[in-house]
Amino acid sequence: MAEIAGDETPPLPSSSGAEESSLLSSPPSPTAISGDEPPPRTRKPGTKRLVLTASVLLSFLVGLPLLLKSTEIHRSPLPSDAIADLSRRLQSHPPSFPCGLHAVFLRSGPGSPVASLADQLERAISTQHHLLPASSTAGNISVSVTIQSGGGCTSSTAAASPWRCGLLTAADSVRDDEVFDELLHSALGGRDGDGMKVYTIVIAEDDDGKGTRVVIGKHRHAWVVGKVDEAEALSLIGNVFIKYFMNGGIEEGETGIGKGEFMPVGSDGNVVLSFSLLNADPNDWVYDWEFKNIGERILTPVVEALRPVADINIESQVLYHTPKSSYSYSDDKLGGNVLSMGDIPFFVNSNEWHLDTSISATGRSKVLQFVVYIPSARECPLYLQLPDGELSKTNAFISPMWGGVVIWNPPGCSVGSKKAHGTRRQMSSQELMETLEIFIGQLRQLFGLKPNYHAQGMDVATKFLVSEKGFAQWELDLLYRHHACSNLLSCVATLESLSSLVQSLPRMIVMDEIGRQVELSLEAASLAQRNATLGIGDSSAGKFGTHFIAHVRWRL
Amino acid sequence: MMMPPSTARRLCFLSLLLLLLLLAAAASATADAAAAEEFTEELLLRPLPDRKALAHFHFRSSAPPASAAGRHHHLFPKAISQLVQKFHISELELSFTQGRWNYEQWGGYDPMSTNNAKPPGVELWAIFDLPLAEIDATWKNLTHTLSGLFCASINFLESSTAFSAPRWGFKLNEGNLRYGALPREAVCTENLTPWLKLLPCRDKAGIASLLYRPSVYKGYYHSQKLKLKSSQSLGIILDQTLTVVLQPNTVSGKQLHSTGGQLQPSWSMEHLFSKKLSGKCLVSKSSRVFVEIEKGIVDNVDKAGSDVSSNNDLFVLSTAPDRSLKELDNLEVQSSSLYEYDVNNYNSDKPLNVGITWKLPLIWSCTRAPYHASRFLMGSGNERGSIAMSFLSTGLDKQLVDSSNDCSIKAVVFQVVPWYVKVYYHSLEVFIDGNSKAISEVVDKIHVTPSEDKLLPGTMEMLLKFPCSMQLATLTLDFDKGFLHIDEYPPDANQGFDIPSALVSFPEFNSSRSYPEADPLFVSPLLENFKEDGVVKSYTEVLLVPLTTPDFSMPYNVITFTCTVLALYFGSLLNALRRRIGEEERGLKKAALVRELQFALLQSQSQMLRWSTIYFFCWI
Repeated sequence: MAEIAGDETPPLPSSSGAEESSLLSSPPSPTAISGDEPPPRTRKPGTKRLVLTASVLLSFLVGLPLLLKSTEIHRSPLPSDAIADLSRRLQSHPPSFPCGLHAVFLRSGPGSPVASLADQLERAISTQHHLLPASSTAGNISVSVTIQSGGGCTSSTAAASPWRCGLLTAADSVRDDEVFDELLHSALGGRDGDGMKVYTIVIAEDDDGKGTRVVIGKHRHAWVVGKVDEAEALSLIGNVFIKYFMNGGIEEGETGIGKGEFMPVGSDGNVVLSFSLLNADPNDWVYDWEFKNIGERILTPVVEALRPVADINIESQVLYHTPKSSYSYSDDKLGGNVLSMGDIPFFVNSNEWHLDTSISATGRSKVLQFVVYIPSARECPLYLQLPDGELSKTNAFISPMWGGVVIWNPPGCSVGSKKAHGTRRQMSSQELMETLEIFIGQLRQLFGLKPNYHAQGMDVATKFLVSEKGFAQWELDLLYRHHACSNLLSCVATLESLSSLVQSLPRMIVMDEIGRQVELSLEAASLAQRNATLGIGDSSAGKFGTHFIAHVRWRL
Repeated sequence: MMMPPSTARRLCFLSLLLLLLLLAAAASATADAAAAEEFTEELLLRPLPDRKALAHFHFRSSAPPASAAGRHHHLFPKAISQLVQKFHISELELSFTQGRWNYEQWGGYDPMSTNNAKPPGVELWAIFDLPLAEIDATWKNLTHTLSGLFCASINFLESSTAFSAPRWGFKLNEGNLRYGALPREAVCTENLTPWLKLLPCRDKAGIASLLYRPSVYKGYYHSQKLKLKSSQSLGIILDQTLTVVLQPNTVSGKQLHSTGGQLQPSWSMEHLFSKKLSGKCLVSKSSRVFVEIEKGIVDNVDKAGSDVSSNNDLFVLSTAPDRSLKELDNLEVQSSSLYEYDVNNYNSDKPLNVGITWKLPLIWSCTRAPYHASRFLMGSGNERGSIAMSFLSTGLDKQLVDSSNDCSIKAVVFQVVPWYVKVYYHSLEVFIDGNSKAISEVVDKIHVTPSEDKLLPGTMEMLLKFPCSMQLATLTLDFDKGFLHIDEYPPDANQGFDIPSALVSFPEFNSSRSYPEADPLFVSPLLENFKEDGVVKSYTEVLLVPLTTPDFSMPYNVITFTCTVLALYFGSLLNALRRRIGEEERGLKKAALVRELQFALLQSQSQMLRWSTIYFFCWI
């Protein structure tokens, strides 16, 4: 079309004359046909041609708005500036949560401690915090120090901790750790509440000659028992606080929380834990379990503890005729069938294991499968072999974001054991509880924590008290912080990629609904960031970001 | 857990008074048994008069009522339990059928045809335990969930044009029932696999291992059904049945087509399924195979004067049964014999291969429903037509009812028509034995929900009363064919549109069976289903209505025509602007003169051109 217009515009004469109505029907030129010689063109093309050309041009001009109207695309305006701004803000100031460190020195000697000593110690501890790794989600840390001795307590100026002076003395530390933990918890006010998290480290001076040891409790505190001088105490405080309370004991180079791992939590904040008991070959033996009573009893505290991070539902089922899909080989030396680490990726048999996603887990919730695999008589006992040739202690493995598998060899199964031919047995409650403990460890691992702690990197004996909830309070704090951070970051990443996508495709339709959702989540993200810096809310940023992602993807 | 059988027997023998106690004991035993999840598997085999064989698989899983329902399961499928919890279903039936049940040859008056003969395609109905306002929304969600669960297009039942809410024509209810059918849905192995996944042993062991796909899908009729009942007191009972009609794959069966050898082929399980049964599913509570010998054969055996045992004058069963049962129909007349095999006694070393061998050629017929109902279309053209439904007496009523003048037989018709078949219900006409009758004489009760365009299908529930002496009744209804939007046509719209089967039930005829000789402790869910009150039902054919289809290439045609007109307009316009015709003609004359002069030159030029062409092709 443009070409045609281009062709006809050059011969347009500049003169403008009167309009003529006769058009195509009349001959375009008045020259006689019968003449021998072609008469040279004596005059310029008339107004008739001008009118014709103008009419064509006019018809195009009239058609143009129609064309534009018909090819118009509705694009809801996206606040891309605000998104970029938020992203810049998050990059320059990563979300950080303020927390407090409270050091308590329990002195056995008489006399009132000097007030200036507390301030001096506080300054000393504060200087250690440059050790904090960059990946940590901890923000500014307020330090306070309390010194308690026979004569009373002295606190540093910044102390706002509810330490109940005199409730606990250094002599109490010789008691059982569990008892001391609870005593300490009550001395600190006995609350695990919201607000700014204050971690307490108690240095109990005790001269029993057993050496120094560190115990990390179930709540937000740890204590050091033994004869330690001031410098040593200061370094211990710094170490424990940074390594465990802030980083969950994850070393540099290890995978775990805050190391690019995602939390296995659905974008609507729901998680379904689906437990399955798989009888590989019921012709050999059929096992059943009492999951309803035992499982619920053991798992309910864990579910309760994790509620601020995710709403967890528990399901269980028993399946039959579910062989594994990888091969194991018989090893006489180890007395059983061995599955090497390389075969584990093929262990889960998705054809035969109809573990099923749950109907009750609607929408975008996450289903974590926990599977107890009972080998058939032919492959029993079945062991997992670690790369170093050792057998796995738990006989279990996890698959990130999917769940975990435990291989459970029924009692009395050995190489060449006879088929029990279809007898139906019950998994004993002791065995079920042991299996569930492995599952709780796996759940910890799936959430990015360590399944259990070894006192690596500490030059003193360290002990960890295990909570019956599966997660200690300080570990949960870690999870909340990480969950909030990763949600915030992934939300911003999604918004950013969405806005760049919309900008790169100028012909893409953007519906109003999308625009509204973007604004909504942007608002929520800003709010979450503000809350985080104020230290409010465990999971304020938790439940909006990724919820939005799936929605937008679906719409587009 | 259960009361030991020995105790129960002792009680039974003590005195007549203890019969009550026994009943109480049985009741408590079932109550106790309900505390655990159970699974039973059963198979019923039956020779059919037209040289085919019927196999009916029945699996029952039951879950007790529990607070943890839907969360912790041992045998019961988790998915179904969660479905029931989530959608508050009190009853649901979903069937996938391929082929049509032959009511003339395979029976129309027995529990099998009443409960397990289903219309072709998918049929789904559900009763919800919900306030009436929430039912439609729940139904929509349910169709989507089932669609995902069974890999079928059940989600097409979501649209309000696809389902209806019958009040009494299908099943008496309080408005909480929804019914939908997809007659064109193809059923194949992708629907069977998820269905099998609901069984604890799937098809790895037990009776379901007989389901060898090539033989099952080679059959003449194939209906896979899932029926569940849920209540606060009973928990959830899930019945999964698969009914197939197969041609036994025997040598004699093949010869029959050419020469008149034996009338009936002798067959065994291996001929039907290409497999033998090697043991039960280990977690099943009971696992049984039944062979049913129909009334027609039993009567023949009686006539021949021998006892109806597994080995008589007419036939012999290849394996001696563990138990035989006599079946009585609702009029306490013996209808058929059942031979039971307990799969517990068989294993892979000693597989079960039940078969029947005929000693004498035998012809028998099955019991039929009082009327043979069929439905067809009348009229031609794409504008209007009429639906006709005919009821042909099978002569059963003569045997059952006194042919006095006042006597009448009731029949209930339930039919759903899509909105684009606009039925004029006032045009209903009734003909009895060819004579037109007043509607009030025949129609006792009628309930019509007229269709609304693109909103509601038309539903008709009708209670008819036929005189006993009647041979043939015909009902006709006129309809106009509607127009659909171009987007609403399915692929291959020229094939026509299917109208789902109508259901005809005869409320005065009951197909329930009873087993007076059975041990009271003998519990078989399959026979329990046969004992249940079952009104005789039959489904009519699916109708295929050709609708006016638009010329689907029309938009393309419009575009090409418009473009041609525009091209002509602009082309001639530009021609008129650019060219001077007078000058061109003069130029042509001049050129003709010049051409003569240049003829010789052109000759040489063409020579050169030829050479250059040859060179060009060589170069290529």
